[in-house]
Amino acid sequence: MTDLTTQERVSQRVPLWRDVVVLKWVTQVFLLIVVLGAMWFLANQAGDNLRARNINTQFDFLERPVDIQLSEGIDTLPNTGGRALWAAMVNTLRLSIAGIFFATLLGVVVGLARLSDNWLVRRLGSIWVETLRNIPLLVQMIFYFSVLTTLPRVGLGTGPINGWLHISNKGISMPRIFIADGFYQWLVVVLLGLIPAWLVRRYRQKIQDQSGKNTSPILWAIGTIGAFALLGLFVHPAFSWLGAVFGGIADLVDSLPNAVPQIGFAALAVGCAAVWIQRFLSDHRSARGHLSLTDDDWFRIAFAAIASLAVVFVVVSWSGLSAWTLNSSRDLFEVLSDKFNVDGAARPFDAMRPDIIQKGKFPNYGKSGLTMSLGFASVFFAVVFYTSAFIGENVRGGILAVPKGQAEAAKAVGLGRGQILRHVVLPQAFRVILPPTGNQYLNLTKNTSLAIAVGMSDIVQVGTTVFNQTGMTLPVVAIWMLFYLSCSLTISVIVNWFNVRMKLVER
Amino acid sequence: MTDPTTAETPTETIRDLSKARDVIVCENVSKWYGDFQALDRVSATIKEQEVVVVLGPSGSGKSTWIRCINRLEQHQEGRIVVDDVELTNDLRNIEKVRSEVGMVFQQFNLFPHLTILDNVTLAPIWVRKKPRPEAESQAMALLERVGIPEQAQKYPGQLSGGQQQRVAIARALAMEPRIMLFDEPTSALDPEMIKEVLDVMKTLAESGMTMMVVTHEMGFAKEVADRLIFMEGGQIVEQNSTEEFFSNPTEERTKLFLSQIL
Repeated sequence: MTDLTTQERVSQRVPLWRDVVVLKWVTQVFLLIVVLGAMWFLANQAGDNLRARNINTQFDFLERPVDIQLSEGIDTLPNTGGRALWAAMVNTLRLSIAGIFFATLLGVVVGLARLSDNWLVRRLGSIWVETLRNIPLLVQMIFYFSVLTTLPRVGLGTGPINGWLHISNKGISMPRIFIADGFYQWLVVVLLGLIPAWLVRRYRQKIQDQSGKNTSPILWAIGTIGAFALLGLFVHPAFSWLGAVFGGIADLVDSLPNAVPQIGFAALAVGCAAVWIQRFLSDHRSARGHLSLTDDDWFRIAFAAIASLAVVFVVVSWSGLSAWTLNSSRDLFEVLSDKFNVDGAARPFDAMRPDIIQKGKFPNYGKSGLTMSLGFASVFFAVVFYTSAFIGENVRGGILAVPKGQAEAAKAVGLGRGQILRHVVLPQAFRVILPPTGNQYLNLTKNTSLAIAVGMSDIVQVGTTVFNQTGMTLPVVAIWMLFYLSCSLTISVIVNWFNVRMKLVER
Repeated sequence: MTDPTTAETPTETIRDLSKARDVIVCENVSKWYGDFQALDRVSATIKEQEVVVVLGPSGSGKSTWIRCINRLEQHQEGRIVVDDVELTNDLRNIEKVRSEVGMVFQQFNLFPHLTILDNVTLAPIWVRKKPRPEAESQAMALLERVGIPEQAQKYPGQLSGGQQQRVAIARALAMEPRIMLFDEPTSALDPEMIKEVLDVMKTLAESGMTMMVVTHEMGFAKEVADRLIFMEGGQIVEQNSTEEFFSNPTEERTKLFLSQIL
């Protein structure tokens, strides 16, 4: 055997089946084909089976009438399946958002209580946590519901303050402030107020930085917006001409050919992919300007390009999508145009007092008040109390995770108790508290689906009624899954965004 | 042309501390952790501009004592008077003493979520209520003094141990303290970083700062200290001027300790 020079050894080709780069590429492409193939096969198979058993998977039931009464919400007697599901989604969202807000407040209080110097407060915190987190949520929900149903029965002219506040076995009803016809014109005034508010904030911040006095720039900015909101109550009819502008835009959108959104979407997809690839390449350039890409990086670039081409293919071949986009944007501008074409005297807000009506045998709350049903109250209290126990433990753990030396160093430079908590301990504890608390927010949102147990009309309860009436089980379940998935992903994105922002800078 | 009065200044100024004011007075200070007595009737006086080094084996109560002086630990018997303010349960006295006394810790304890500049300006802004531009220019001057002005916008995690400890010194100095306490400032550092921290402490001592230093650095003690205090088992075994302490220790226990570490 002859000795090879280094040059020769390097230039010798590796057989394909031993070449790591080739093997990696073959596996990636093979896996992609397998996954896509499996998905296509399963979808096809399921479709065939459903057709064979005569199960309809069309979504046209959303347009058809249903006979449902919701316990509360934006529409208690919806006329179509879609409208019913939409009203139920709003109920679930209300429950989740209010629940997350109050569970966080209560959780922070509970967590701080468990770390208190005061023995009694500490014990109470422990009892709260240990009781609430060890009883199943469903049991708590039913317990609160059965306690609340012992409230006095609703009758005409009852309640603590008749005509203003009613508390009864049908729930709590109180006066409601709602947006009226002039609201959108008023909103324009408020949005215009954002510009001076921003300038005021910057100016006050500058004074604070120079003089060192606390000039509360944020409060001043909020005050400026408030002033504009107040002003808007009187001057809002000045913006009624916007209706004509939106009408013009609607006409313009209506006259556009179908090709415009198609070209727009395609350009957007290609543009996004191009920008992403360009950024990716510049990020992976070394200091000397050389590209250092791994095989995975090449695969990601190829994948981005293929994905953008796939999007182009879809928008071009599916003209219905562009037509729908055009129609719905035209509808949007027409609605806006209608909202502005109102009588100049229309008020931005209106208020109504709760009423009690008697339809048939039993009296009940009418539509004019802001009503919280017993079902909503029991689900709300159950998820808030239950989740507050877990969030409280997160808060406690987060504060304990800040090293003792941090508080000592802050004491040693003379900071007071509140200042230490605000400037040193809490900012560091927050990093530890946030990720598990994000999980609790996801749990809370998903736990509201237990509302069916107390007859509160959340999306699961209404969805069940809808598929009982229409037989469209699979589409409704698909809507449920999509709804909860998008809620959870939204929460995750927000929490992750905070997480990245709060990250400690290490070398 | 040189001014005759400043031309011949002695290189080694011998400070006369006999007339200086007492700034830290400890009388029979005792402290227990449960059954364990950490401090046993500790009595000592530290004069203005004096540099005192506290020595002793680990567990001898050096750190506990120094931490009692700014009330990070609470003594249970005896009296501690710092700059004419007695440390009692009065919160106002405690806050007054803490803003007069700077402290540097073994583990630096910089605030990791704040930049170096914000670490230094935090207390002047919130405790002394200084305007931000003034606090920042003062902080930059201090960072210049400890030799790391170029790191002002970085975070503690991006600095070496020696640099972090120098920032910690600047942070303590930003409150313009009259007394500085050092609790083993070089024990957590790599050998090559010890010198940069000790150099900063030396210049601080030369500038006339009253300093109390717990350390195992004998070179530093010999060179900078006016007086040494040797502790064991929570008691002060011996205190003496630096020269006497090393050349002519009186107590048997001190001799044994010195023979082990020198």
